[in-house]
Formats: sequence, structure tokens, C-alpha cells
Amino acid sequence: MAAAALGTALVLAACDTGEDVDVDQDGSGAENGATDEDGDAAPVQGTFVAAISGEPDQFDPHVTSAYASFQVLENVYDTLVVPDDEGEFQPSLATEWTTSDDGLTWTFTLRDDVVFHDGSEFDADDVLYSFNRIIDEELANAYRFASVDEITAPDAQTVEITLTEPTPALLDNVGGFKGMAIIPEGAADEYDLATEGAGTGPFAMGSPGASGISLTAFEDHWGGPPSVDQVEFRYISEATTALTSLRTGEVHWTDNIPPQDIESLQSEDGIEVGVSPSVDYWYLALNQDVEPWDQLEARQAVAYGINREQIVDVTQFGAATVNQTAIPEDNFWYHDYAPFDHDPDQARDLLDSAGVEEGQSLGIMVVQDTEGVQAAQVMEANLADIGISVQIEQEPSSTWLDRQAEGEFDAFMWSWLGNLDPFGFYHAQHYSEGGFNAQGYNNPEVDDLLEQAASETGQDARKALYDQAAEMIVDDVSYLYLYNPDVVQAWAEGVEGYEIRPDRAINFENVTVAE
Amino acid sequence: MTSEPDTASVPVATEKHRPRWAETLLLLVRNPMAIASGLVLIGLLVVGLFGQWLAPYGHNEQFVGGQLEAPSGSHWFGTDEAGRDVFSRVLLGAEVSLRVGAVAVGISLVAGVLIGLLAGYYGRWLDDALMRFMDMLFAFPALLMAIAVLAILGRGENNAMIAIGIVYTPIFARVTRASVLTVREDVFIRASRSSGAGDARIIFRHVLPNAAPPIIVQTTISLAFAILSEAALSFVGLGTQPPNPSWGRMLSEGRGFIEHAWWMALFPGLAIFVTVLAFNVLGDALRDVLDPRQRSTLSGKGAR
Amino acid sequence: MSGYVLRRLLQSLVVLIGVSILVFAIIHLVPGDPIRQALGTRATEAAYQALRARSGLDDPLLVQYFNWIGSALTGDLGVSFRSGRPVTALILERIPATLSLAVAAIVVALLIAVPLGTISALKPRSPVDWFATVSSQAGLSIPDFWMGIMFILIFAGTLGWLPSGGYVGLTEDPVEWARHLVMPAVTAGVASGSILTRFVRSSVLEALGQDYVRTARAKGMRARDVLTWHVLRNALVPLVTVGGVQLAYLLSGVVIVEIVFAWPGLGQMALQAVEARDYSLLQGAVLLFAVIFLLVNLVVDLLYAKLDPRISYQGAAR
Repeated sequence: MAAAALGTALVLAACDTGEDVDVDQDGSGAENGATDEDGDAAPVQGTFVAAISGEPDQFDPHVTSAYASFQVLENVYDTLVVPDDEGEFQPSLATEWTTSDDGLTWTFTLRDDVVFHDGSEFDADDVLYSFNRIIDEELANAYRFASVDEITAPDAQTVEITLTEPTPALLDNVGGFKGMAIIPEGAADEYDLATEGAGTGPFAMGSPGASGISLTAFEDHWGGPPSVDQVEFRYISEATTALTSLRTGEVHWTDNIPPQDIESLQSEDGIEVGVSPSVDYWYLALNQDVEPWDQLEARQAVAYGINREQIVDVTQFGAATVNQTAIPEDNFWYHDYAPFDHDPDQARDLLDSAGVEEGQSLGIMVVQDTEGVQAAQVMEANLADIGISVQIEQEPSSTWLDRQAEGEFDAFMWSWLGNLDPFGFYHAQHYSEGGFNAQGYNNPEVDDLLEQAASETGQDARKALYDQAAEMIVDDVSYLYLYNPDVVQAWAEGVEGYEIRPDRAINFENVTVAE
Repeated sequence: MTSEPDTASVPVATEKHRPRWAETLLLLVRNPMAIASGLVLIGLLVVGLFGQWLAPYGHNEQFVGGQLEAPSGSHWFGTDEAGRDVFSRVLLGAEVSLRVGAVAVGISLVAGVLIGLLAGYYGRWLDDALMRFMDMLFAFPALLMAIAVLAILGRGENNAMIAIGIVYTPIFARVTRASVLTVREDVFIRASRSSGAGDARIIFRHVLPNAAPPIIVQTTISLAFAILSEAALSFVGLGTQPPNPSWGRMLSEGRGFIEHAWWMALFPGLAIFVTVLAFNVLGDALRDVLDPRQRSTLSGKGAR
Repeated sequence: MSGYVLRRLLQSLVVLIGVSILVFAIIHLVPGDPIRQALGTRATEAAYQALRARSGLDDPLLVQYFNWIGSALTGDLGVSFRSGRPVTALILERIPATLSLAVAAIVVALLIAVPLGTISALKPRSPVDWFATVSSQAGLSIPDFWMGIMFILIFAGTLGWLPSGGYVGLTEDPVEWARHLVMPAVTAGVASGSILTRFVRSSVLEALGQDYVRTARAKGMRARDVLTWHVLRNALVPLVTVGGVQLAYLLSGVVIVEIVFAWPGLGQMALQAVEARDYSLLQGAVLLFAVIFLLVNLVVDLLYAKLDPRISYQGAAR
């Protein structure tokens, strides 16, 4: 899900286009009992209102990188394959796929009963058009096709992707999130995709307003029509406002929940809170092109100097899991490795041997108004104990990205969201020539391991390679991993058929609202 | 406001029997509210100056395991989400908030008064040029202007002071200019001009002192606005940077904890309220005494 | 008089051109690259270069400026970089919400200022006066985000009387429009009301001391009529002038109130535009604010002359 969190950093929101102003939750009345898990049951009446904390920048799935946009687009578009809540890929627009023995050719068989919201029929040409649009126009997700040589359509129901090297992460690359959505052939010319939807998903997009957007059920959806008539997204950035709206029944669902409220909300009548581990992780990266952080000992001193448990307590109120690697515990790719304990004495010794003097300054760049600001304050206190004086540098994401790109920082703290494949977790961040290796990490051994792992098709062998690489990355403090936060969402009692997902994708296809 | 018809002139103190500041003070102490707010502000100044010795703990001293504790004997105002003593942070925040207010207003005072003096005294094209420029700044919504300035300079306390200072400069320029226009043609100023005194001497020895009352009132009121502006900037994340405590920042962070730890927001909130109220009430009292024609806060435009 | 109007119009135009240059300069001084921002963290250098080339941001600044001004004159403010939508459409979409809030807030301000200011002027330096003064000052002393959050917790949360946020169009449902408007309008109006109270108080005070009021009283006019006909008319002058400025300020968006109440106004839009470095959107918004500001001031000045017969612009210095 790309750098989705960036979107949330800039969000200030508004509410309610007023297109459908049925403020009472049961104003239009949902049918009781029809809470079939598949959502294949007879369509249920009603509008489902969701308050999201971010505001979408625009709605072209191939162009936007904002998480808030994808919250909406998740319900409008489909991809060839789709991750389930374990991160395993399941059929969506493709019913099945095969890989050639050399791992260089992937063949996808497409569904034959799919229509777009505009009534046109879905076939292989649409897939070609969508993927080629991303590649040819060098849109934000073009990197996902880096190893793709050619995409062809042998017939209307088949798509063949030829690769330059085996790419076990291909399913993630073409279906990991709705940024890889399939749009009808010619859609970019026919529609203004920034404001108009042209998907195959369960809901069709209404026109976007300043305070929200409404989606209407798509009766001809290939998976059957969704359970509610309408989904209305409202943009509410202030948490107090969102929570109050949830309590009063003005909205049914929100993701705008400060971690300190989780506990009290859980015991509140009429509200259900979903807390589930996510695949996101928070980390600190020290600039290895800047003294003294170019020295391993200095970086390790920071790793020993910080207190992860305290950081999790203060920033997440426990709604997170401390982790010294990137991949969370319940994931197949998890590797149990945690060499650093909070040990100020050890940290001081390491600083001494690196020749770092008392009072060494360390600027930590964080994106404004994120939990990173809280985390950085704990680090400031932790690192003051070992003689490092931390300056917290809050930046809006635009400046933050600039400084990151220019390498103008001592250290930064940030998170990666929504990765599913270990390639996404480790490769571009730690490969010496990697696109996101802003910290300047360069370890030929790690490069070697990452290269091998990227094209290793045996899953266990691949995991062994990534485990090895992860240990070195952690030991070298390329990233100083902190924790995996939980996904926290809350909804009104009586909302059924909603499932919280580790990649934070929100899908309202099967949700129903009780009277 | 772009027009201030200056048909009537401010009563300029010409009584010779008692210095004007003494006169003012005498009038002021007859107003109990002015006394009360004056005392509050003196108290705040003491806290601001000596807060670091009065505060029992450091501004980012964190008690692990002691997060979100209710007020008690050991933490009078409780602790915050990072386990920091709120009482200490409120005391230390006094200095930050007062400094931001004072420096910001100081910047706009110096810049605005200088521009207003030049425009009012010389008139003609200089007046037009300077005041049109002030109009341009004034046409920006205040908070947006401050945010834009911070976007250029980078966030942080010092830059917040500069940003707020820039936002309030046009107000001071207008107040000063309007006041200067009323005294420019006074007999004694014409007299010193004809006696060959230099412009600089006339401006600073004669014009400024006589044009001062509305400026003084404006200064007091702007201090109140500046503290609120800092709070507003903190709300959007641009004011004082963590872990430094400013009241605005503490209040803004405390808003997420109203239902769990009311003390986090209550005490810094009270501090802002009392301080701003004191400046406002004092400003009002001063205005009654100094500026009955209400030349100051022409716009009352605040960066909120 | 018409000469004066012409002169003022000309001045406004100069200021407007100045503002357009100023905003253009400010925006291009702001660090932070809109392209990187739009693409997010994962974009490759090639994607970055491709979008940058398409955006026209590599043209010389002067060319960019004149392109912008040229189309702005035809009502085309360009396309918002972030949303891919025309700036004019984005602004128009937010006008109803902004206008509703600004007008309602001014009404709230007047409802506070006129009674409070009049009462306190009728009994100057009495406990009533002090009470009125301090309570109006108190309204000016609470950070507005705080006031808004407290309102939400109390009136939407605990009491459940009002919706916690959001905007409903007047034409869709007038009742809901009003209900959604109450809390934001009060939050935004209190500060303006406090400022206005001072001016009402002093102008009523001043009017009461005028010869013609004394004469009217001496002639046996009833106190109430005196108050209505002479005193309040006098008080109208600052109401119009100061109130006009407050209205201009409210029209350019009350950022914080909008954030707290999820109100889709221009202030939030402008703030987002700054943060996302959405150049064209910010330029358009600020230009609009400047036009509003200058227009309101012009109208105020002209009204001023109408209301206060003592003032004439013939040969006025400015």
C-alpha cells in the first residue's frame, strides 16, 4: 500500500457533502438478519457511514499515493489477485494463475463474468491497458514492474507476464493493493479518473465533495451486489469529533481512534473496537553518510540506548508489538531475532569506543503530528541518559521527503505500511542501490542475499535468505526497528460482516447495519 | 480597515503639572480590574523568569510507569502520557509562552511603528507605498500567513515568533500611522520643525511620544493575541516543538486525553486563559485611559 | 465622492497585483517539492522526472507567473496539483459552507456585542460594566480549538442535542443545515463578538456624551427612544467598520474551527494546499481572500461615509 501514511499526515478534513444527509444511523433502515458472511444474500437497504481521518487527494488509483484515497478505492476497484487477511493471495479478477518452470512466465486466467461500472465487459485488453498505463507513463507504481519484460494477451481470458528474472513477489506486485487496479481500456482518455470512478468493484463512485464521497452499490458486481445500498465516507480529522460522531450514531465506523481511547472504548456500550496486529512497522534510520553515525558502534549505541517498551507504552498505549525486525510475529516471514536490550551502560561503552563525545547532537526528523513525535520525545529522554542530545525536527511530509531525498538529516523516524512480501519489507530499503535506501547502507553480503532472495522461488529457501539478511540489517542498524502497531478501528454495535485486515485495507462489500 | 478619518484628534496630554505616565498610572489604579490583571501578570513574569528554579522536575523528565497519574502530593498537576510532571511543565511553559508573546509582539512593534512613523510623518508616495504593502500583508488571512511563513522558515519556536511578528506588523503600522497623523500638525511639532530640528529628532523626540498611547494599548492586546496564536499554531503542529513545553502545545496535546486525564489539558488551559484574559483586561483598562477614541485594534484581527 | 471611489478602486487593484506577486513569491520560496509529495515515498526517479516535466514547474518563474495571471483573468485558476481538479471548482464547492459559517458567526457576534456593549456603556464603571467587560474578554481568551472541542463533548456527546460535525447544504435540508451550523458559528463568532463589544461600548458611551443626545433627553424624549434613534445609530459606525473586517476575516476561512468541526470551508482547503505544496490551489485561494478583503473594505468605507454624516471624503488625506 505504498507510502500511504504520507497522505494521512496532511489531512485536515471536512465532513459530509450533504448528498445524503441521513444523519440517523438507522434512518433508512437496514434489513435485519441478512448478515450472510459472503454478502451474496439479497441486497440490504441502507447507507453505511464511515468517518476516515484522512482526506483523499484524488481518486485515480494509478496516480494517488494517499492512504485515504485507497480507503475509498478499495471498494471501487479490483485487482487480478487480492490478499486475504493472512496476506495470502486469492483469486479476484483472475481465477487462477500458473508459473512456468523457469519462473519467467506467469499466466493468469481471467473471470469471464465481469463488467465495469460503465457497463463495458472486462477482458485481457483492459489488464494490458491498465498495466501499460502504469509502465508507459512512469506512474508512481511503475517500480512494481521492474522485472517485467512483456505483458501479452494470448486470448481475451488470458494474460501472460514475461519476466527478465524470476519474481516470487509478482502476485504482491500486481495485486498487493488497489494502486494496481484494473480500469477499462481507454479509461484515462474517456474519464477524468481523478474524480470519476471506472472500476469493477462492489461500489460505484459518486462525485467527490469537499467533505466526503458517496459510493453506490453496483448491482452487476461479479461477486454479487454488496449488502448495503450506499457507503458514505466522511473526512473527519479531529479525533474527538469522529469519536463523538460514532457514539451518537452519526457514523457507523471510524479509524480515527487515538490509542489512549482504545481501552475505555472497549468497555463502552454500543461500540465495538477492533484491534489487530498490522504489517506496518516503525523504525529509526541513522544517516550513515554523516559522522558519527557512519560508525557501527555509534548506531548500535543508539539501539541499546532506546527503550522500545517505553516507546510503545507512550505512543501506542500498548496497542503495538515491540519488534527488532520488520516483519510481525504472526506472519509467515517473521524471524525471531532481538539482539538489543535497553542497556545504557553498554550504549555508553559503545559511544566511548566510537569516540563520540558527551553531548553529541542527533537531529531526529519526524513527520508532523504523527505518533513519531511522541516516540521521538521518549528517545530524547532515553538518549539524554547516554549523553546524546536529541533535537526533534517535525516536518510536513513534503519537506520531509525532500530532506530524505537530499540526505539532509542525522536520522529520521517513519513507518512503512502495508507490505506483504518480504521483498517489500527489505529489498529497496537495504539494498545498496535500493530506491529507498536513504540512510546510505551498503553491505555487499546483504546485497548478495537480497538479490538471491528476490528470485528464489522455493519458499523455505527464500525465507532462510531473508532471515539471514534481516539479521545483518538489524546488527548493522541499517534500520533500527521499533515496533509493529496494531490496526485500530471502531464501529457501532450491530455492524456485521466487516473484517479488520493487517494491511489496513478497508472493504465494506459485506457489511450490514442492524436496526 | 483602510480608512481612519482623522477629523478629530486624540486628546494629547498637555498638562504640565504631572508627567503623563504618572497621570496614566493614577487613572489606572482606580480601576480594580486593571490592578487585578496587573498583579496576575507580575506573578506570571516571576514564574516565567524563575520557573526553572521553581519547577520540581525537568521539562522532559519521564517517569517510566508513572504515566497519566492524577494530581497528587508528588505531582500536583498529575503526569502526562510520557510520565512527565505537568506542574513542572506548566511552570516552564510560562517562560516559553511569555517569550513567544513578547518577542513576536516586539518584532511587530518595532517594524510596525517604524513603518507607521515613516508613512505618517512623510506622507505622500512613501505613505502610499508603505501602506499599500501593509495592505497586501493584511489581505492574507492571519493564520494562513503565519503558516506560510513557517513553511518557508521551517517550524519551531523562533520561527513561530517571527511569523506571528510579521502577521501583526500591519496592525501596528496602521495604528501608528493614524496616531501620527493626528499629532503631525500640532503646534509644537511645527515649531520644532521650523526651528530647524532634524527629522529623526522630531520623529523620535516629539512625534513618537505623543503618538504613543494607542500603540501601548495595541501592544498589550497583541500580547494576548500572540499567546493565542502560538496555541493555534501548536494545534496545527507548527508552534513550539516537542519536548519543549508551551501551554498551547500542552493544551493541544491534552485534548486527546480529556476523558482519561483531564489534568493534562486543564492546567495549561487555565494558564492560557488567565494570562490572555489579564492582558486583554489590562489592555481595555489602558485604552479607557489612554485612547478613548479607540484607535488601537482597528481590526481586532487575530491569528486564531 | 466618485473620485474617491475611483481612487479606492485603483488602490485596491494595486494591492491585488501586489498580493498576486507576493503569494507567488512566497509559494516558490517554500521548501518542499510538490512532485515528491504527490508521488509518495516509493516513486522512482524516472516517475519523478516524468511528472515534473508534465507539471510545467520547470518553466522560468516569470513565465509561470504570467501564465497563471493570464488565465486567472479569464476565471481559470489552473488545476490543483494534488487532486487533479480545477481550482475554480474546488473553491466554488467550498463557498456555501464558508459563507454559511461566516454569516452565522457574524450574527452570533452581533448578538453578543450589541446587548453586552450597550448595557455596559449605560452603566459605565459599575459592576454590570465590569461583568460585561470581563465576560466578553473571557470569550476572547479561550483558544478556539479548545472551545470547539468542549462544545462537541458537551452538546453533541453528553447532551446529544447537536451533530458533532460536518456540513449539510441549506437547500438540501434547512433544519439540518442550521443544526450543523450552531456550534461552529458560536465558536467562530465569540471572538469577533468580544472584539465588537468593546467598540459598541465606547461608541455608545461617546454618543451618550454628545450634545444632541443630551438635547434630546432634555427635550423629554423617552430614554428608550434616545437609545434607539441616536445612540445605536452612532454605534452602527464601528459595527459596520469593525464588523466588516471581522466578516472578511471569517470569509477567508476559520481554519481551526473548520478542522475541529470537519467543516468543508476555504480555510482548511488553503491549509492543505500549503502542506501539500499545491501551488495553484494556494495561489487561487489567497487571491480570492485578497479580493474578498479588498471588496469588504471598500464597501465598509463607503458605508462609513453614509452612516456618519460628520465624515466627508472630499479632500480627505487618504
